[in-house]
Amino acid sequence: MTEQKHPIYKPFSRREMLGACKCGFGSMAFASLFGSILPSCSGASSGQTDFMNHLSNGPKAPGLIPKAKSIIFLYMDGGVSQVDSFDPKPRLEKENGEDPTSKFKVDATQFGNVGKILKSPWTFKKYGESGMEVSELFPHIATCVDDMALVRSMVSNFPEHTNANYFLHTGSGLQGRPSMGAWMNYGLGSENNNLPGYVLLDGGLIPPGGLDNFKNGFLPAAFQASILRPGATPLANVRPIDSIAGIQDEKLAFMKRRDQNLLSKLGPADEIESAISNYELAYKMQSSIPELTEFSAESEATKKLYGLDSADPFTRSYAAQCLLARRLVERGVRFIELTCPQTNGSDRWDQHANLKIGHENNARAVDQPIAGLLKDLKLRGLLDETLVVWSGEFGRTPFAQGNDGRDHNPSAFSMWMAGAGVKGGTVFGTTDEYGYRVVDNPVTIHDLHATMLHLLGIDHKQLTFRFGGRDFRLTDVHGNVVKDILA
Amino acid sequence: MKKVFLAIRFDRTTAMQKSSVINCKSNHNQLKIFSNLKEILLMSMRTKFVPYQKTILVLSAIILIAYGFMSCGQKFSPAIADKVDFNYDIRPILVQKCYLCHGPDPGSRKGNLRLDTYEGATAVLKDGLKAINPEHGEKSLVLVRINHKDPDIMMPTPESNLKLTEREIALIEKWIDQGAEWKPHWALIPAKESQAVKEFKGNPIDYFINQKLAENDLKSSAEADKNSLIRRVSYVLTGLPPDPNSINKFIADNSANAYEKMVDQYLQAPQFGERWARHWMDLVRYAETKGHEFDYTISGAWRYRDYLIRAFNNDVPYDQLIQEQLAGDLLQKPRINESEKINESQIGTMFYTMAEGTHSPVDVRKDEADRIDNMIDVTGKAFQALTISCARCHDHKFDPISTKDYYSFYGVMEGTRFAPIPANVLEASNKVRELQSINDTIRKEIVTNWMKNYSGNASTKITLASSNNIEKPTDGILLGDFSKTDFDGWKSDGLAFTNGTTLGDPVFNAQHKIVGLQEGRASSRRLSTGIFGALRSPDFVINNNFIGVNAAGKKASIRVVIDNFQLIQWPIYGGMDQHVDTSKFINIVFDVTQWKGHKAYIELLPGIYETHVFKMSNDAYIEAKYAIGFDKEWFEPALELQPTAVDATQALYAVAEQKASFTDLKLINTLLRSKRLSSQFSNMQPLLERKTALQQSFTDSIEFLNGVSDGCGTNSPVFIRGNHKELSKDPVQRSFISAIKVANPNFNVKGSGRLQLAASITDPKNTLTSRVMVNRIWHHLFGRGIVETVDNFGMQGKLPSHPELLDHLAIQFQKDRYSIKKTIRSILLSNAFKRSAVPVEKAAKEDPSNIWLSHYPIRRLEAEAIRDAMLAASGKLDKTLYGIPVLAYIDSFMNGRGKPAVSGPLDGKGRRSLYLEVRRNFLNPMLTTFDRPMPFSAFGKRTVTNVPSQSLILLNDPFVFQEAEFMAKQLLAKKITALDARIRWVYQRSLGRNPQPDEIADADLLMNQLKKTYASKGVKENIELIIWKDYIHSVFNLKEFIYLN
Repeated sequence: MTEQKHPIYKPFSRREMLGACKCGFGSMAFASLFGSILPSCSGASSGQTDFMNHLSNGPKAPGLIPKAKSIIFLYMDGGVSQVDSFDPKPRLEKENGEDPTSKFKVDATQFGNVGKILKSPWTFKKYGESGMEVSELFPHIATCVDDMALVRSMVSNFPEHTNANYFLHTGSGLQGRPSMGAWMNYGLGSENNNLPGYVLLDGGLIPPGGLDNFKNGFLPAAFQASILRPGATPLANVRPIDSIAGIQDEKLAFMKRRDQNLLSKLGPADEIESAISNYELAYKMQSSIPELTEFSAESEATKKLYGLDSADPFTRSYAAQCLLARRLVERGVRFIELTCPQTNGSDRWDQHANLKIGHENNARAVDQPIAGLLKDLKLRGLLDETLVVWSGEFGRTPFAQGNDGRDHNPSAFSMWMAGAGVKGGTVFGTTDEYGYRVVDNPVTIHDLHATMLHLLGIDHKQLTFRFGGRDFRLTDVHGNVVKDILA
Repeated sequence: MKKVFLAIRFDRTTAMQKSSVINCKSNHNQLKIFSNLKEILLMSMRTKFVPYQKTILVLSAIILIAYGFMSCGQKFSPAIADKVDFNYDIRPILVQKCYLCHGPDPGSRKGNLRLDTYEGATAVLKDGLKAINPEHGEKSLVLVRINHKDPDIMMPTPESNLKLTEREIALIEKWIDQGAEWKPHWALIPAKESQAVKEFKGNPIDYFINQKLAENDLKSSAEADKNSLIRRVSYVLTGLPPDPNSINKFIADNSANAYEKMVDQYLQAPQFGERWARHWMDLVRYAETKGHEFDYTISGAWRYRDYLIRAFNNDVPYDQLIQEQLAGDLLQKPRINESEKINESQIGTMFYTMAEGTHSPVDVRKDEADRIDNMIDVTGKAFQALTISCARCHDHKFDPISTKDYYSFYGVMEGTRFAPIPANVLEASNKVRELQSINDTIRKEIVTNWMKNYSGNASTKITLASSNNIEKPTDGILLGDFSKTDFDGWKSDGLAFTNGTTLGDPVFNAQHKIVGLQEGRASSRRLSTGIFGALRSPDFVINNNFIGVNAAGKKASIRVVIDNFQLIQWPIYGGMDQHVDTSKFINIVFDVTQWKGHKAYIELLPGIYETHVFKMSNDAYIEAKYAIGFDKEWFEPALELQPTAVDATQALYAVAEQKASFTDLKLINTLLRSKRLSSQFSNMQPLLERKTALQQSFTDSIEFLNGVSDGCGTNSPVFIRGNHKELSKDPVQRSFISAIKVANPNFNVKGSGRLQLAASITDPKNTLTSRVMVNRIWHHLFGRGIVETVDNFGMQGKLPSHPELLDHLAIQFQKDRYSIKKTIRSILLSNAFKRSAVPVEKAAKEDPSNIWLSHYPIRRLEAEAIRDAMLAASGKLDKTLYGIPVLAYIDSFMNGRGKPAVSGPLDGKGRRSLYLEVRRNFLNPMLTTFDRPMPFSAFGKRTVTNVPSQSLILLNDPFVFQEAEFMAKQLLAKKITALDARIRWVYQRSLGRNPQPDEIADADLLMNQLKKTYASKGVKENIELIIWKDYIHSVFNLKEFIYLN
């Protein structure tokens, strides 16, 4: 049950639009369809008695100066091992094979199969002017460190995938809450009226917890992610079902005639007017969405930059997603999340065994495309207004699970951001000498969300939605902006 | 230094006199001057700890700023009533603008001032003043603070981002001026019937609606045409469009009660139950899987859906429905469905188990807290429209619900165990009774015979050797000992374990000769295999490394349920569910080292869970002798074998009474072996043969549903700030929400207290229950409730638009024995419901939201109704009621863990939408896009969105296209050939009316155009079918098709 006044619930009446907004009806109606907020209009609800209205509380226009227009969230499903990627720990090398329980208190793990301390199979090198250390898993991303702010002190509340995924995506470990992309669109709306504001690029792996990671929860359905998949029909039902060009146009013209006729009988019916205009947008999407996934206008150099010519099919697949993400950013899509490709034989980044093979397969798939994305965005001047966030749902243990795997570790993991408003070359937070726990400047998922919202110009405490008698926030009652990583 | 202005607002008249700038008429004439201004100011300064110098400055710089009400009557709509009502005018302001700091939650309370109670608001504050002074309104400190301009003094504070409007300030002033009358929150005041309505001839509903229309000077629209009426009634009652026959019949019926008859026809239709069941399913987060990581099945969820359909169709009283859903397993007289052979009441408890189920949570106690929170949330919202779960971490910020209330509710839920419940074994229970009676007869026969013929001296005493008196290790604990006749405090659910152990049960050989009496053990086959039952220990705290059970069985399982966590499996919990498949008693060990300190219970089941679906085969059984906790070494409990002499006669008595001890048993078995007791009985054979025949008759496979069984009476501590690791010292006694006045039954019972909870909710004095339900009904009939926030009647919810009507309906509902159908009927027969959807001009302008119901509100059909309407129109609709769900259709965009191996059919076999499987992680995209809520909390009111994906579905989804084609084929197969007749056929089925000439012409135009376009592309084959399909597809896309007017 919702108690919120929002354009999505109650489309503006014709009078309100024409009167208050001084612009044509059609364009105005479109603006509300993907959840754009029109501050000058949203208050208009003439005639509602005051007591009926006393709780209405429209979403806030950005209160702060926004740095980012869009966010690309590179979700590293399964949990990348921090001590093998961005958080080098020489002590693991020294104590490889020793019993961790003799060194530190080991928390309960998901599989309870605590092995010996396990050194990283990869070596680290310093890169860029900042000298940030990156392991040899990510040779391409390593060339971008001066644009990246690395947080080594991430913590989560949950050591199991599903809860941790919900937590990372919705700020709550429970199923059914609105996803961060939904919140950000609720707060700001889309800048493109022909495209959804929140897009999930399904690379092949829907994380544990399923599509509920990307849903609207109690927010209106308009704010849920639209799932785009590679292929001829990138979005469900976006291709006209009519086999022959022109047929749909004729049908649409008929519908419009009949619908207008209905309106003339019913008198002003805002709901129906909005539903009619909705068709015009749907019609446009039929061409705008397939056009998006069409890369023929991209230069060979660009394609190469992303790795679309890679010998590895998974690299090619992720490269296509990264390129598509850039194209979505160019078109003003607010929040884009990429899921990982299903690499051969590796269950996401979730290497409970076969750490070396699994992490190498996964890293190979994403490394060059991500670096390509960062460089391409920068080249086009888009990195200044685009925030790129790279994170898993938690990290992994510095000791082995069995012999050659690592179990889940919510007590420390690494995350990085690049782009709009981010202080490049920064390393924030520290973990203990094993990389097991955060010892300094812990950053919670709520802090991450608060920081992302901050960069979009939203005070995370002000972005609320009333559901079930409570003003809910993405950050619940927590969250601090991580100022140290901001430019 | 900052210049501080102090704004004291005098009465408007005064202001006008002092400053001639503002010209305003005021209806207040009383001159109010603060008698002790200086004192007030000083105090208000001190409360904010303003430095002394500043105070001086403030005092010396008082500038009285007068601002009156400008252009009265225009700015404030509606005008302030002559009498300000606390609940309708004042409390909303206090809730919205004051309670965050001055509400019921002491944790966030500032300045030690609370404005949520009369006592708090009128308490003497430390400076001798009152925030609200009912006797001397002008001395109320509130007036100073809300009118102040100094950011350090003004209320609400600038940091709060809250601001009082001028109208709100005026309301507060007038209210205080009128004596600051305080009332409890409207929803907590018992419903009261308005006296005036008794005089009214006609439908009382119209009395209340017309009264408000008159108050607002609005005229109502005329009655809708008959086509609209039947379509409206058909949809709101059955969720389906009216069929052409019913339409024609109704149109042709000119009798005075034609409408009434038509309403009754739909009220009696079986599809009524389907429609209203689905409404209820929104409230209980109905799903067929548990979501989370692997989306496990909720066994028998569909049986709950069918239970609802039957209940709504049979008009089961609402209070009965509540009791069944909350405590159907505990009712003294469960509602038995004789024809279906099911216990309806028990199915109701699936209400609790529809929740999400977590895969292997590391913190199992937190998982329990979250699960219970969801149960409280849904129970509170569904039945009481209260957001009780807001009080999980702190006292409710707005409503009078404390954390104590929350945790008193928590205890009830914590004492409730999820359990497999047999769904179809009513018939078996007769056989079980017969078996029980045979056993009793046999035992009686034998003992009587032995008593009569006992060859020894009556006082024969035999000395038995002491054995098995092993010392209990100090680190061990006996958790259950079944060597005696009782279950040592364990709870036997279902029929299999009967009410005691096997101690003293005679054992016969093939020749019907007694070979001995059985030792004591808990056994699920005491009567027979093929009967379901479970034996569960009380809750205990795990204090040992290991739990052990000495048991034997077949295809059976023993589970250690920690913190009520049921989805036992790898990783983490796998070891807590162990299968038993040995006829020899063995020691079964559970390693519980990592859960020391956690609450747990042990459960013995004659069956096994396969991927969380409980299954029992006909030959399965489980038996156990004892259960222990230990740290290092297994130990056997000492059997109480007294080495002293035993009296044989007394032992025989004890066996007859089923009170025998292990010693009695040893004695009788010794006598039997030494042939001093006869082992041959002539009359045993027929009994034993009948018993065998019965035992062999348990061949039906039992199906199970996820219901609940009662656990232990548990009083939970308060989790401080909601943290399950930080507990209050004392537990909270279970009870009902303290703010709702009911007969207050004693919750201090051995079981969960759910019966008492149900009694409190259905207490006739608790009129909130009936108000909430009649409001839900109103919401479904009009598209908006009298209280718009149907799941929140708390202070953050909306106020009722027609409070007297709400009370009237609630009281009538109780008078009508909570009949849902009667309530619906009376609303449908009102003029208000029958009005046209076209507003009269004034209403469209002055009441565009149609709060006063001058006309019927236009609204979009619900997701299911849209899909079902296509099936109904196309002729595909399969009206079969009930049954296992049609597998979910999985399209290429639906991926993730737990994805079903097989996709269901695109058209769902033509079944109504509520029969389509609801897989939490694979929700139907069409239904979700058209706003069917996600199943995680109670959603009494669906959002209605308008998004392009809806248009894309109607335009391009293969299902819609397929149904259009199916309908076109039906049409062309008919002997109708004339164009207008064909269009009429389409219109009647799709839109419930006949087409107008211009609509026929337009259809003709479209089809001619289509024909040309196809011809130009060389499409000739099947062209008639193709263009009719396209035409019908277009009709499915018309707004009229998906809107109700």
